[in-house]
Amino acid sequence: MGITRRQFLRWTGVTALGAVVFNGCRIPEEELQIESPVNLPEDLVTGIDNWYATSCQQDPGCGVIVRVVEGRAKKVEGNPDFPINRGKHSARSEAGLQTLYHPDRLQTPMFRASRNDDFLPISWDRAREILNAGMNSLSDRSRFLLVTEPLRGHLALLTSEFVQALGGRHMAFQSLEQINLHRAVKEVFGQDRLPDFDIENTKYLFSFGADFLSTWLSPVRYSRGYGEFRQGDRKRGVHYQIDSRFSMTAANADKWVPVKPGGEGVLAMSMAYVIIRDGMGNGDAASALTDGRGHEALNAFAPDSAMVRDATGLDSGKIEDLAHSFADEGHQPSLAIGGGTAGAHRSGLFNLKAIYALNLLVDNVGKKGGVMFNPAPPLEELSREDVAGMGMPASYYQWQELAGSGSVDVLMVRGANPVYGLPPGADFARVANEANFVVVFSSFMDETADMANLVLPEYTYLEDWGDNVPSPGPHYQTLGIQQPVVRPFLEGTSGFGDELLVLGRELDLGLEGRLELPPDARMQDVVKAGVEKLWSENRGSVTAASFEGFWNGVLQRGGWWDTQATGDSGVSEIKPLDTAWDGSGLGDPGSGMFSLVPFLSNSIGDGQLAHLPWLQATPDPITTVVWHNWVEINSRVAEEMGISEGDILEVSSGAGRVEAPAFPHPGVPPTTVSIPIGQGHTAMGRYAEEIGDYNYNTLSLLESNIDKDTGALAWAATKVRVRKASHGHSIDIPKFAGNQFAEEPHKGTIIKVTGPS
Amino acid sequence: MLIKRIALLLVVSVGASATGLVLLLAGAFVVRAWWTTPFEVLGFGAAPEQPIAFPHTIHAGIDVWTYPDGSPKLDADGNEMTGLGLDCTFCHRNVDIGATAGVPPVEQCLFCHASVQGDELEEVAKLVDAWQNKEPVAWERVHRVPDHVRFVHEAHIRYFLAQGETPSGEPALVAADVCSTCHGDVAAMAEVNQVRSLKMGDCVDCHRDYNAPTDCTTCHY
Repeated sequence: MGITRRQFLRWTGVTALGAVVFNGCRIPEEELQIESPVNLPEDLVTGIDNWYATSCQQDPGCGVIVRVVEGRAKKVEGNPDFPINRGKHSARSEAGLQTLYHPDRLQTPMFRASRNDDFLPISWDRAREILNAGMNSLSDRSRFLLVTEPLRGHLALLTSEFVQALGGRHMAFQSLEQINLHRAVKEVFGQDRLPDFDIENTKYLFSFGADFLSTWLSPVRYSRGYGEFRQGDRKRGVHYQIDSRFSMTAANADKWVPVKPGGEGVLAMSMAYVIIRDGMGNGDAASALTDGRGHEALNAFAPDSAMVRDATGLDSGKIEDLAHSFADEGHQPSLAIGGGTAGAHRSGLFNLKAIYALNLLVDNVGKKGGVMFNPAPPLEELSREDVAGMGMPASYYQWQELAGSGSVDVLMVRGANPVYGLPPGADFARVANEANFVVVFSSFMDETADMANLVLPEYTYLEDWGDNVPSPGPHYQTLGIQQPVVRPFLEGTSGFGDELLVLGRELDLGLEGRLELPPDARMQDVVKAGVEKLWSENRGSVTAASFEGFWNGVLQRGGWWDTQATGDSGVSEIKPLDTAWDGSGLGDPGSGMFSLVPFLSNSIGDGQLAHLPWLQATPDPITTVVWHNWVEINSRVAEEMGISEGDILEVSSGAGRVEAPAFPHPGVPPTTVSIPIGQGHTAMGRYAEEIGDYNYNTLSLLESNIDKDTGALAWAATKVRVRKASHGHSIDIPKFAGNQFAEEPHKGTIIKVTGPS
Repeated sequence: MLIKRIALLLVVSVGASATGLVLLLAGAFVVRAWWTTPFEVLGFGAAPEQPIAFPHTIHAGIDVWTYPDGSPKLDADGNEMTGLGLDCTFCHRNVDIGATAGVPPVEQCLFCHASVQGDELEEVAKLVDAWQNKEPVAWERVHRVPDHVRFVHEAHIRYFLAQGETPSGEPALVAADVCSTCHGDVAAMAEVNQVRSLKMGDCVDCHRDYNAPTDCTTCHY
């Protein structure tokens, strides 16, 4: 019997299919097993989730609740009780899980004697010995410098005590600091703390350069308030965005007023002139602001003057409309806020002072829908000047001075990445190179850790104790508590607070005595001691007969707050407006030149979160770009220059040059270009480093322009030259809008799951 | 010639009936296994071998312990030793609060076995090893419903406790009284075995008896 070719093929088909089909019927072995875990957590029920409240560090100030199933954190949500965000949260909070379970987390302490060597993994005991030896090598303890992110709450207290007891120095680092804003609030309102802007209840909102729905100060709080402002049970609020970039916030506004970069303050002064001249608003405030001289005092800022037109790019009719709209009686309460690019010029402080003074004119201070002042932190120890100072970032001028001073022998860095985050004019790498011993606490091998002798792997905030006084607060006393929601995922990690206490004991600093703690205290004890003092005050959202009850209540709610303990209700003394405007460096950039308006990425922020794939893959709200840098340029200008989307542009300034693909877009003012900040990492793990070509650090373009009054970096004051790159390359920008060819934007494995080794 | 034919016929018919019988038996086995539990032949239906031979008799039972020859086991003072009579929920502590009964963590076993080392018993030594090496114990599942079925222990226990009586007529006063309804007398099993089919028919029958919902989405959701 013969077998035909057709029969042969049929049988081979059937048998191969059979092999595949029946293989699928097999039940995997682990399905037939049930595992006894080793340990017995007290509150674990197999298959049932526990939700723990804690504070979020990736979206500072927010309270979150974390779903934990069988000892693993599964989901982050907003804490519905917490006054700042009231149940809402952001993609940045959500991605806390990826910080915790990141495949590139540092697993063990690492050491190298010289920075030319490779790191060797060592034990914690050895690491502590090395750290002690490093600290003891200091001949003069004032040559010790600790650099951290701005610290608040009890970690600020502990760190401040440590630095004082040691006799060293501390500097807080934040990439695009808010120093001008703090100073403006101090000078206009006489407040030491940033106030709460009641967007929720205002009617007319004027935002000058503040991208408050995306990245400015407390975006989750403002977004929540904005929802009420727009869609609450009352007349829809009106929002004007005065901004030199078409940001996500500008896109949401009723009217976007593209002002020339740096002209925001002049516009605000001009608005004040119109309001006073037309007798609108509060007459007493008008008189105080002008030293009794009336609108004459602001003559230089009359809307029809050539200076105002040049500085703002707006004609007088428009400015008059804005002023009337802001001060109209039927539009009260109205609110003016300013920040972001408005404060990032050489005249940044002037700009912000002028903007915030508008609030005095419409008399909204201390009122619903206006500016509400924040009280001092709840505990006396947290309101101390030195502790509050831990939360104030050092100015760019101070970083510049530091870079040239050669004054640091032992450098300790925690939670900050100044090597990446400072523009080239303040060369932090030089500080690290000149120090004899550099120790970095970090969960990831970032650019700064890469310069260290000793790297100490830290807990993430989901594994550590702490607390937080949100800045800005919700206009009443609030303390967010951070508790570990899971046990430390990696055995070779430790907490910064814990290690400071250990180091303090080794160096006999007597921290326990200063803070009235037990002799072998850990960070948890520091927080607990503070909470105990709070308990004895017997007020606020949690009260209990016993401290244990209070402690549990505070942990359950994610913190403590007292809605009765509010800040000042008004301004004690209104100072006259500062009319000395310095317009240097402003004006038209010149032919072939553009004003560079850098901005914080909506998801990866200033680059501190660039290592998290969820955030890299979160589309930018305006361009929908993911995993990449881009240059926003006006469509018509791009057409004239022969630039189309994806063409690689060379952007150069006096400080450096970067290449990035063009994103022509009609909403970009013709004399500006915008590039997001945050990409271009040379370290910090696979998802930050290996994301393809044409991702450079935008900060390397920034020239060392500073505000002469505050020393703050004028990060929006750089002028750049833009042209097509000489190599003529063009790429498909990875984005969600429009028809795109499917392409892997990120080279290599997108997600890798790892366990503790 | 005829004889040859008859012989051939005989061989064929015997062979055919033998094959038929085998097929019939195999078919009966498959049908029975499909319908309820398989016949206990060739190791089917028997209790699986566990990584640690944990005896429910000693922990949950209250009978006198015996050696294989039937003689009672005596303690140091010459008294007969009996099972501990632990309540089911002492170890399966999720059973009346969650969907799964759960097996106890190794740490829980060590509550007692840290001191009760059982005359150097091999099985206890395995447990202590697992604790010292921080290794979980992977038990072979005995009771398992398919992935598309949701069975929630807590709801069933709550129901019978409210009734005050199990289907067999025993009083149901604490959660542990209900377990044997489906699991049989586990306390008497040296190796745990499945006694009820736990097939859909079994579930639906019981749901009908107790007027419990029989909508698809009661269990398949």
